[in-house]
Amino acid sequence: MLFWIIVAILTAAVAVFLLKPLMRPGREGDAARTGEAAVYKDQLREIDRDLAGGLIGEVEADNARAEIGRRLIAVSATGAADGRRASGATLRKIAAGIVIVVLPATGLCLYLLTGSPGTPDQPLAARLENPGNNLDLLVAKAERHLAENPNDGKGWDILAPIYYRGGRLGDAELAYRNAIRFLGVNAERATGLGETIMAGNQGIVTEDARLAFEEAARREPKSPRPRFYLALAMEQAGRRDEAKAAFEALEKDSPADAPWLPLLREHIAKNSSDGPPVASAPGNPTEADVKAAEGMTSGDRQEMIRGMVASLDARLKEDPNNFEGWMRLVRSYAVLGEKDKAVAALKVALTTFPADGTEGRQLVAMAKQAGLDVEGAMK
Amino acid sequence: MIVEIGHYALVLALAVALINSVLPVIGARRNDAGMMELATTGAYALFVLVLLSFLSLVWAYEASDFSVKNVWENSHSAMPAIFRFSAVWGNHEGSMMLWLLILTFFSALVALFGRNLPESLKANALAVQSWMGVAFALFILLTSNPFIRLSPVPAEGEDLNPILQDVGLAIHPPLLYLGYVGFSVSFSFAIAALLDGRLDAAWARWVRPWTLAAWTFLTAGIAMGSYWAYYELGWGGWWFWDPVENASLMPWLAGTALLHSALVMEKREALKIWTVLLSIVTFSLSLLGTFLVRSGVLTSVHSFTTDPTRGVFILGILMLFIGGAFALFAWRAPLLKAGGLFAPISREGSLVLNNLILTVSMGSVLIGTLYPLVLETLTGEKISVGAPFFNLTFGLLMVPLLIAVPFGPLLAWKRGDLLGALQRLYVAAGLALVAGLVFFYAKNGGPVLAVLGLAAGFFLVFGALADLWYRAGFGKVSVSTGWKRLTGLPRSAFGTALGHAGLGITVLGIVAVTTFETENVVEMTQGQTVQAGGFAVKFDGMRATKGPNFTEEQGHFSISRDGVQVADTWSSKRLYTARRMPTTEAGIVTFGTSQLYISLGDPMSNGGIVVRIWWKPYVLLIWGGALVMMAGGFVSLSDRRLRVGAPARRAKPVKAYAAEAAE
Amino acid sequence: MTRKQKRLAVIAGGMSFILAAVLLIMFAFGQSVAYFYMPGDIAKANLTPGTRIRLGGLVAEGSVVRGEGSTVSFKVTDGNTEIPVSYTGILPDLFREGQGVVTEGRFAEGGPQFTADTVLAKHDENYMPKEVADRLKEQGLWQHTEEGKP
Repeated sequence: MLFWIIVAILTAAVAVFLLKPLMRPGREGDAARTGEAAVYKDQLREIDRDLAGGLIGEVEADNARAEIGRRLIAVSATGAADGRRASGATLRKIAAGIVIVVLPATGLCLYLLTGSPGTPDQPLAARLENPGNNLDLLVAKAERHLAENPNDGKGWDILAPIYYRGGRLGDAELAYRNAIRFLGVNAERATGLGETIMAGNQGIVTEDARLAFEEAARREPKSPRPRFYLALAMEQAGRRDEAKAAFEALEKDSPADAPWLPLLREHIAKNSSDGPPVASAPGNPTEADVKAAEGMTSGDRQEMIRGMVASLDARLKEDPNNFEGWMRLVRSYAVLGEKDKAVAALKVALTTFPADGTEGRQLVAMAKQAGLDVEGAMK
Repeated sequence: MIVEIGHYALVLALAVALINSVLPVIGARRNDAGMMELATTGAYALFVLVLLSFLSLVWAYEASDFSVKNVWENSHSAMPAIFRFSAVWGNHEGSMMLWLLILTFFSALVALFGRNLPESLKANALAVQSWMGVAFALFILLTSNPFIRLSPVPAEGEDLNPILQDVGLAIHPPLLYLGYVGFSVSFSFAIAALLDGRLDAAWARWVRPWTLAAWTFLTAGIAMGSYWAYYELGWGGWWFWDPVENASLMPWLAGTALLHSALVMEKREALKIWTVLLSIVTFSLSLLGTFLVRSGVLTSVHSFTTDPTRGVFILGILMLFIGGAFALFAWRAPLLKAGGLFAPISREGSLVLNNLILTVSMGSVLIGTLYPLVLETLTGEKISVGAPFFNLTFGLLMVPLLIAVPFGPLLAWKRGDLLGALQRLYVAAGLALVAGLVFFYAKNGGPVLAVLGLAAGFFLVFGALADLWYRAGFGKVSVSTGWKRLTGLPRSAFGTALGHAGLGITVLGIVAVTTFETENVVEMTQGQTVQAGGFAVKFDGMRATKGPNFTEEQGHFSISRDGVQVADTWSSKRLYTARRMPTTEAGIVTFGTSQLYISLGDPMSNGGIVVRIWWKPYVLLIWGGALVMMAGGFVSLSDRRLRVGAPARRAKPVKAYAAEAAE
Repeated sequence: MTRKQKRLAVIAGGMSFILAAVLLIMFAFGQSVAYFYMPGDIAKANLTPGTRIRLGGLVAEGSVVRGEGSTVSFKVTDGNTEIPVSYTGILPDLFREGQGVVTEGRFAEGGPQFTADTVLAKHDENYMPKEVADRLKEQGLWQHTEEGKP
């Protein structure tokens, strides 16, 4: 409402300002051409100055004076004869009418066509004050906090896995390293760091990553994740027997209903002497490897992520008109390995953003990339 | 809401521009003072509205309001405040807003300072300005609207192109646009005069300050852009004959010609039609530049995004204004009376020569820039016209001008004495040749052409001094009288001398740096030393640092002469995190007007790094000369004669003039 | 000389200057214009060695070899044909394998080796040299990535 009041005031003020000259009593234009005469008179004075200063000679000065004199005379001669007929008050009234009509008409029509009336300003500072459930903003806020207090290990510790899941691997690595630096190393952080480095190297367990996993395994010898990756490192290095033994040991220690068992068995088969040879020494671990590893996660971190995803899900049910939110939700479920939920979410999203629209297409493309059953969702 | 009000202000500005482009013209035709005055109030209103709109956009950038698409695309909350501000025009939409803002700014200035212009001329000229306002406001609103909103609102922006995050780039576009768009005023005056059918010496007097102001800003803008390219791109080059650079050089050349032909018109009422034509051509070239840069026809750092509708729209504007102006010119120009006569050897004659050379050189740049585009459109064949072409054509064509410049101011109006001028200049010419030779042998080596180039540069500087010397009459009169006469010279005489000397200084810089520059590309490991320009440059090693929105690998170099360390510098490679884009930050050390320029290449496997070290003797003279030219422009602008009959106050009473003249 | 003759002389002088300029421009075009080629065009183009050309394409993956000092050799490809290029100097910041590039230089006598003296520098991250982008599009090798987030 305030916006429209301001618009009205602005328009009215401009109109009044423009109407002012039209409202004055009619007057004919100045035909005397005083401005031109002033220029020529000044030129005459300049010649006097030049002459006095010795810059030009007497003869030149006289010639120039004569020339300028002729121009002066021409000005005053045409000036009087140049009286074009002045118009009456009618014309000015029409002009005023045009101003009164054109100003609001053009203004409103075009603005309604191109503008987004009523959309509030969203300065970042105010949004950070009050981030609500927006994960991106929460991250941004945490980043600001860390920019000012770079020694806050807890902050880095919280951000690191979020970065990792968001695919910001460089930031994630830095955050893990900082968290380790300030809070000391533990299995969770070391494993996270290893995973990050690995993800940044197309899934290859590099030397740095291996050291991190070893550190984690030393601290929590029972933890399945570092053990799995260390076995994977052996497999990638071509040490198939050792890898097989490690995978088998891990299988033995795992509970019978552990979700990663099928994957383990796959690797055991792959590294058996009668199995097919490993594709290429620094092989490409399948996406399933990575995902299974996600499944092994236990503890607070996982809970936190799930909590966030659940709250996002709930919010989107209330306000489905949030494209970015849907993208994030579907992606999160896919990454968490909850394909059914991902497909379900995609289905709901596609009711708001049809699959043939721009947003819908992006959703579908993203889902396909995440390996979801898109056909099912589109039915 | 602030953003939406800004958006509405822009729409309202379009409405005002629409009114302002029609009613004042009718008023001028019917000789109605009220409707003509509407042009003045309208120009103020237009400026205030566009300013309001622009400021709201600035606010959105400063507050990092990522609900505005334009802000999200080109800003990042971690950028320093100054770059968040300059990011406003560091993108297509914002730069068009700046264009419009400056256009309306000049209109408002004409409205303010043009109080004693003939009413009809002023009304028509402001109406023409409004036509352009309409065209560009429509362009912005329909194809390049910076006020488009986003929902949902992203948490962080996409950052500004890192190479635009630089102080030089913060001021380069406004300066350049002040020049480009400043020429719109002389264009509008030309169109208004053609509409009016009245064109006389006074017109030139009124147009000249605007042309001069635009020319000065354009000089500054080009120099700034060139210096930016020199230090930011890490290539050590200061002019690339890139089409975008050419696009700014062409209006400068035409504007320089206009500046001189307007002088002839003001003094002798000759070259009237030519001057009007040049006014049209100069601004047309500014528009062409805008088209080339903004349409995406050329890909370069300046074309932020390419969108065919924008190109077609700008091409439409271009055709409408340039085509319309030339049609009007063809129709009305024959009705204008021809002006005064003069002999070939005279001040006028020399200025005609100046115009001839400048426009022909401009033509060669124009052909070189457009030919590849035309050829590709017609035949699909792709060619590149690069530096060798321009160096050969433009370089050669400008040579006679460099020699002729010092003669101009020494020739009298109407009928000059070339022999006399020669006699006065032979001292300057001799001195210049000697200076060139001394300079050359002091630097031992290089092509013989360099001597002539240096001599030409010195000749321009000495010639400018000689002009002042003879005007003051030193040698003929006593020193004290001479001094009195020198200080009594009109400011424009100093402006001329500074302008010409500045050109000479730039020529000196160009010749010196192209001839005496040395370049070393070497692999350096820590502790290694390389000789360049008489200095020993030692590589002390690398370190990693972090800026607000980038990470940086810096190499440290210490520079010593004869075993004594005289300076040190950091040269670095940056990686801007948001865009994952690397840039080079060269390490530049200045010694007088010479510079040592160190830029980093790729790291080697053995821990060393490839380093490129240039010794650039007298390179700063290139831009120093441009600064002197600018100073000349401002000094001329301050000349009281330019204020008479046009800007500033109402004509003073005659008595005041008499008193002034008697001073 | 009469006034008319003087005027004619002035006009003739001006005209001859313009004529000289036109001849100079034509001469310069013949001398210094570089045609643009993709690697696939080279075989067909029948170039005499030493002709200055522009060669554009993508930097072939895995082809960049740093040699002695600051000399770099790499291959420019259009997907089918590869041309070996050597260049001495510092490569632009955005020179990467798999990215578009335009080089300017000459072919060596009797060989397919291209010696570049310029590797174009004014890139930004999205910038594909226009000539290269157009040709790659024709060959269906490259699509312009749509603007906006995925």
